Amino acid sequence: MRSSIVVIGFVLLLLVLAGLVGLALDISLGVVALVVALVYALVAILRSRSLVAGITHAQPLGEEELRPLRRLVENVSIGAGLPVTPELRIVDDAAPNAFAAGLRPTASYVGVTTGLLRTMPKRELEAVIAHEVSHIRNRDTYLMTMATVFAGVIALIADIGFRSLAYGGRSRKGGALVVVLAIVGFILAPYAALLLRMSLSRRREYLADAGAAEILSDSEAMALALRRLELDSTTIRYADASTAHLWVESPTDRVESERRGVLAISGLFNTHPAIPDRIAALEEAGGFRLPERLAADAPFAVELGLA
Amino acid sequence: MPWLWILLAVVALLLVLAVVGYNRLVRLRNEADTGWANIDVQLQRRADLIPNLVEAVRGYAAHERGVFEEVTKARSALQSAGTPGAAGDANDILTAALGRLFAVAEAYPELQASENFLRLQEDLTDTEDKISAARRYYNSTVMHYNTGIQSIPWVLVAQPLGFREKEFFSAGGDTDVPQVSLTPAT
Repeated sequence: MRSSIVVIGFVLLLLVLAGLVGLALDISLGVVALVVALVYALVAILRSRSLVAGITHAQPLGEEELRPLRRLVENVSIGAGLPVTPELRIVDDAAPNAFAAGLRPTASYVGVTTGLLRTMPKRELEAVIAHEVSHIRNRDTYLMTMATVFAGVIALIADIGFRSLAYGGRSRKGGALVVVLAIVGFILAPYAALLLRMSLSRRREYLADAGAAEILSDSEAMALALRRLELDSTTIRYADASTAHLWVESPTDRVESERRGVLAISGLFNTHPAIPDRIAALEEAGGFRLPERLAADAPFAVELGLA
Repeated sequence: MPWLWILLAVVALLLVLAVVGYNRLVRLRNEADTGWANIDVQLQRRADLIPNLVEAVRGYAAHERGVFEEVTKARSALQSAGTPGAAGDANDILTAALGRLFAVAEAYPELQASENFLRLQEDLTDTEDKISAARRYYNSTVMHYNTGIQSIPWVLVAQPLGFREKEFFSAGGDTDVPQVSLTPAT
């Protein structure tokens, strides 16, 4: 329900922006901005699948490779009631993490890092995969791609509007107040869009955690996996802000918080809620408390013959 | 005149609510049917693996006739089970019978070394996991569907509209069947 409020926020923001362009500038310019934005959105959506694979360096697997892992993904997908099992891809990276990508549940894939296989025992790995499968089932991958594109479109229109106001003397119209309003609007809109996008992303993370607990009828497994991710401090090599929302644990937070300073502390610009908050949400919903120490179970990589 | 409009609006609103509610029930029923189809696929796959398994074990332990008969009987009982509840029970019986078959097989080292046997064993374990995953999904869809048709106002019209309550797979609802370890003792 709260997610739909965020989506409505996006639409309102776009309308406000269009209104400002219409008020302060020539209408033909508004049309040009909209066409440019639409083309941009279309290209971004169409290319998102291969783009994600490129940025994350996820490799497809052969038929007979890592059969036990493939079976794990199949079982989780059956438990989630997905029509088809998502394709499995491996990212060769020491940091434990996983992501989901693809616009439709029938054409999606799950990527896991080799670090994840070397860190997680079977039960927790299953929970992480269930988290990703939940993203696919909830169409979060689609939603977040759209949110990213929307945020990009809003930034683009605001930029065009701002530039035309600053340099394009002839296309300007309206009084001083309108112009000032429009300038403030054009400056703030990209940040508002980013805020909306991040808050949407955080809500979908909580939902996917709950989904993983439901798919496995085991809410403790997801919390245990999160605790293990929290304890790990390896940073992923291919961290990139444009795909940060895809991962089970934010791959960029550690880098970004140093860059952004005060704003980062508030958590408003993070793609993921803080791990302790996510664990607390699972504990509350499932009615359990995580033990202080994690069991030293053998990681799944041993069963796969990787370690 | 305004009363007529209000009445019309109320009727229109009720109609919209009825259509939305009815579509929801249809969706829930379809999800449960899909969930059952998923279980059925895996049960069939399990049943298909069993003759090969029995043959593989018979090659080394022909005199253990009692166990083979038990497994074969449990298999055909599962295939002829008519309702989800009955299939769940039959599946539990089959699991127990297979457990005894594997216990017998453990006494034959040559069998334990046979590639064919090990592959069959692995496939069976996998099918078992898939059945239990499919059961979790099916049972949760049945729970949502049953709750849907038992809640007011649908409880009044569900029967005449053809929405019948659905059975859970395995009598214990969402509880796990006892898992018999099929991995060979090393």
